Amino acid sequence: MRKDFDVSDCYVQEGKLALPYSYFAGRVGSTFITTLRDQRRILGVRCNTCGKVFVPPRQTCERCMEDIRNNWVTLSNTGEVVNYTVVNYDDRHLPRKAPFILALIRPDGADTPMVHILEGIEGDKVQPGLKVKAVFSEKTTHTILDIDHFEPVA
Amino acid sequence: MGHKKKNRNVGIVGIGETKFSSHREDVNQPEMVHEAVRQAIDDAGIGLEDIDCVIHGNMELFEMIHQPDLWHTLGTGAYGKDAFRLTTGGTTGATLCCAADNLVASGMYDTVLAIGFEKLQEGHTTGGITNMADPLWARKLQSGALTDQAAVKLIFEFGEERAKRAAMTYRIIMDKHACLNPNSHRAFGLDWDQMDDLMKNSPPLIGNLRLIHMCSQSDGACAIIFASEEKAKQISSKPVWVRDHITVHREETLDLCNNYYPNQTTHRFAARELYKRNGIDDPLSYFDVFEMYDPSAWWGVDWLREFFLLEGDAHLKLVENREIMITGKMPVNPSGGVIAANPIGATAMVRVAEAAKQIRGDAGPHQIPRPVNHALASGFGGTMWTVLTILEKELNW
Amino acid sequence: MHSYFGINVEDIFDSMPDRFRPEGARGITRSFGYDISGIGGWRLSVKEGAMTLEKTDDLESCDVVMETDGETFVGLNIGKIDGMTAFTAGKIKVRGDFNSFAVTSRMFQRYLPPGQAMQKEQELISLKKIISVGQRFATGPVMGKFLKGLKDKKILAIRCPSCGRLQSPPREACAICRVRNDEWVEIGPKGEMRMMEYCYYASPDPLTGETRETPYGAIGILLDGCKDEEVFWHLLRPDQLDRAKMGMVFGEKVVHGSRLRPVWAQNRTGGIFDIKYFELDE
Repeated sequence: MRKDFDVSDCYVQEGKLALPYSYFAGRVGSTFITTLRDQRRILGVRCNTCGKVFVPPRQTCERCMEDIRNNWVTLSNTGEVVNYTVVNYDDRHLPRKAPFILALIRPDGADTPMVHILEGIEGDKVQPGLKVKAVFSEKTTHTILDIDHFEPVA
Repeated sequence: MGHKKKNRNVGIVGIGETKFSSHREDVNQPEMVHEAVRQAIDDAGIGLEDIDCVIHGNMELFEMIHQPDLWHTLGTGAYGKDAFRLTTGGTTGATLCCAADNLVASGMYDTVLAIGFEKLQEGHTTGGITNMADPLWARKLQSGALTDQAAVKLIFEFGEERAKRAAMTYRIIMDKHACLNPNSHRAFGLDWDQMDDLMKNSPPLIGNLRLIHMCSQSDGACAIIFASEEKAKQISSKPVWVRDHITVHREETLDLCNNYYPNQTTHRFAARELYKRNGIDDPLSYFDVFEMYDPSAWWGVDWLREFFLLEGDAHLKLVENREIMITGKMPVNPSGGVIAANPIGATAMVRVAEAAKQIRGDAGPHQIPRPVNHALASGFGGTMWTVLTILEKELNW
Repeated sequence: MHSYFGINVEDIFDSMPDRFRPEGARGITRSFGYDISGIGGWRLSVKEGAMTLEKTDDLESCDVVMETDGETFVGLNIGKIDGMTAFTAGKIKVRGDFNSFAVTSRMFQRYLPPGQAMQKEQELISLKKIISVGQRFATGPVMGKFLKGLKDKKILAIRCPSCGRLQSPPREACAICRVRNDEWVEIGPKGEMRMMEYCYYASPDPLTGETRETPYGAIGILLDGCKDEEVFWHLLRPDQLDRAKMGMVFGEKVVHGSRLRPVWAQNRTGGIFDIKYFELDE
C-alpha cells in the first residue's frame, strides 16, 4: 500500500487490558445451576401462552413477554443433536483442546437446543438427530460445565 | 451548528425505573432490564406489540459483556422489531432519549422504547472508565472518573471555607431529596448539624473530593416510551413533550489537568445555544425543575453556573440560600440526583424520566409541591460530553 | 448488654469463635481492633487459620482499628446497614488501611439471631472472572515522533497553523480549527505546576490490572514555551506531593505554581515513562 506520509516514526507499543468482573446468574439461573449440580437434573421453563419449553431457563418468554419464571419443567438427561461444529483451533477461552465437537443439543422435553460439548464420537460420524445423553462432572464449577459433556446413547 | 425543526412533535408516554441499589444478585441483566421495560409498558397502558422500535444502551467495558443488546432481547422485547444499540459513555441514557426523539420525529417509527441499564456490581467501573483514554499516554495517568478540579476552582475563586460549605450544603440537600425518593440507592438521612463533621471526616478520594461528595456505583435500569404527537395523545392523558435537545462534546478536555479558567465548558456552550434557539432569555425563571447529571457535589455546585448561564457567585447563592431544594425557587434534582443513584448507562435517562414525572405531577413523595410546566435535564460523560433536553407540559412553543 | 435491632453487641462478638471459617482466614495474619463507642473494645487476632478474641480497651497495637457506634456495628452484622454507606457517611472510621476489614466478611459466617438460623436463603450463583487480553497500539507518525523524542530527552509539541496553539502530546489535527497540524517545536523541559489530582483512591492500572500505589499526584504542567490551556499531563515525584504548589489563572488573578523539572529514566524506550516523573526544580 502506498503511504502519502512519512512512516519512519511509526511503531507499535504492546499493551494489555486486564479487568476483573463478576456475573450474577439471578434466581432463575441459579436454580438451574444448583439443580444441575446437586440433583443432576436439567430444568427448563414453559411459556403457558405459546407452549414453548425453554432451556436454559429464562424469566420471560421473549416472544410473548410472559413471566414464566415459576413454570419449571424437568427435562430428560437425554436429547438429540440439532446441529454441530468441529472446533479445529486452540484458544485460551475454549473448554477443550482441539479438535473437539460443539453441538446444539435439544434435551427431550424442551423446544430449544443449548450448546454443549459432544464426546465419544468422531466429528465426521455426527448426524443431526443423533441421540445423546448428559455425562455429569465430578467436580463442580457452578456453571453449565457441571455437565461435563454429552455422548451418544449406546 | 446545523439544526432543523422537527418533522413532528414527540411525547413521552411511558416511564419505568427499577429501584437502584448496590447490587442485584437476584436477577441477571435481561431480567433487571425487563423490570424497567415492564413498568414503562404498564405505565403507558399499551402492549409490547405497540412498540415499533427498541433502542438499548449502557457503558462499554463495564460488565464485560459483548453485545448485551442481543442477549437482552429476553428482557427488552426487541424480538422481531427494529433494534439499535447506542453507547456514548455517561451520556448514554440522554443520547438514547435524543435518538428515540429523532427516530419518532423523523416519521420512521411511531413508538420507540428506549432502555438504559447498568449492573456496576458486575464490573470494575474505574477500570472500565480508564480505558476510554489514549492508551499511549492518558490511560496511564487517568484516575478513573474521579477529579478534584471543580473543588480546586471553587476554592481558588471563593475561598476554602465558603467553597467547602457550599459543596457540603449541596450534598446534604441532595441527600434530603434522596430520602424522599423510594428508588434511591443511597439515602443517608444527613442533617445540617453533620456538616462540619462530614467536611472533616469523610474519607478523601482525590484532593478535596471526599467519598461523601461522590456518586454511588449502582445497579438499575430505566425505560422510556416515546410516541408521535398523534399516538401520544391516543396513548396518554398526560404526555410530556420533548421540545428540543442538544449534544456538545470536546474530547480534548479529557486532559482534565487543564487549569486555565475560564475556558468555555461544553455545558455553558450547550446551554447558550439551546436557550437561544428556543427563545429562552432567563433559564432560571423559565424552568420549574432541573434534573442535573451531577457526578459529585463539587461538580453539582460548579455546573449550576454553567447550565443557568450565571455569573459571579450567583450559583453559590442558589445553594447557600437552599433555593435548589424541592421547596425552593429552582428545584434541582428532587430525585436526589446522581449522587443518590448512578447506574451509569441508565443515569442520564433517569434525569429525563424524573423531569417528565415532575411535569406529569406523579413523581411520588419527591413531587415538587407546585405546578411544573417546563423542565430541563442534563447528561454528562467522561470526555466532556453534554446533552441537554427541554421537556414541556404543553405544546405551546 | 447493649441492644440494637433486638440484638446485643456482645452476642455478635461472643459468637465469633463459632462463626469462624478457617478456610476464609487462610494466609491472613493480622490483628483487628473494634472500638465500639461507649460500649468497649475488642481485639481479634487471626493467624495461621485460627483466631483469638479478647475484650480489651487497649487497641493501640492492632494493625487496624474500626471505630463505630453500637447501632451501626449491629446493623452491619445483620445486613441492615451497608458498610460502604456507613463508611461514606463517616459512621465508621478506620485507623489503618481502610480496605483491610473487607477480609473479615470471608472469615465469618453471617451472624443470625437465635431462631432465624433455620431460614435458608436461596443460593445465588455468581462467577468472578478477569478479562485479560493483549493489545497492540499503533503510534502513527505524529505520536510516534513525539514518543521517540522522549528517548532523546526532548518534549515535543505540535502547533496549529491556524490558531497557533500548541498540543503535547501532539494531535494530528487541531480539533477546533479542523486543520492538519504541521509545525513541531520543542517545549520545556521545565515548567510550572498548574494542577494536581492528589489521589488517595487506588485505581487499577488498566494495562496490568494491578492497583496503583497511593497516594500519588497526577499533575498538569505548563511547560516553558506554553501558555493558557497548553498543559502537559504527567506525575509528580511521590515524596513531594505535600510540598508542590498549584498555580492558577482566573481572569486577572494569577498565582504561580512550583517550578518542576522532569526526571528521565535511565533506559528510555519511547513511552510515557521515559519521564519517570516531574520533581521540584530547586
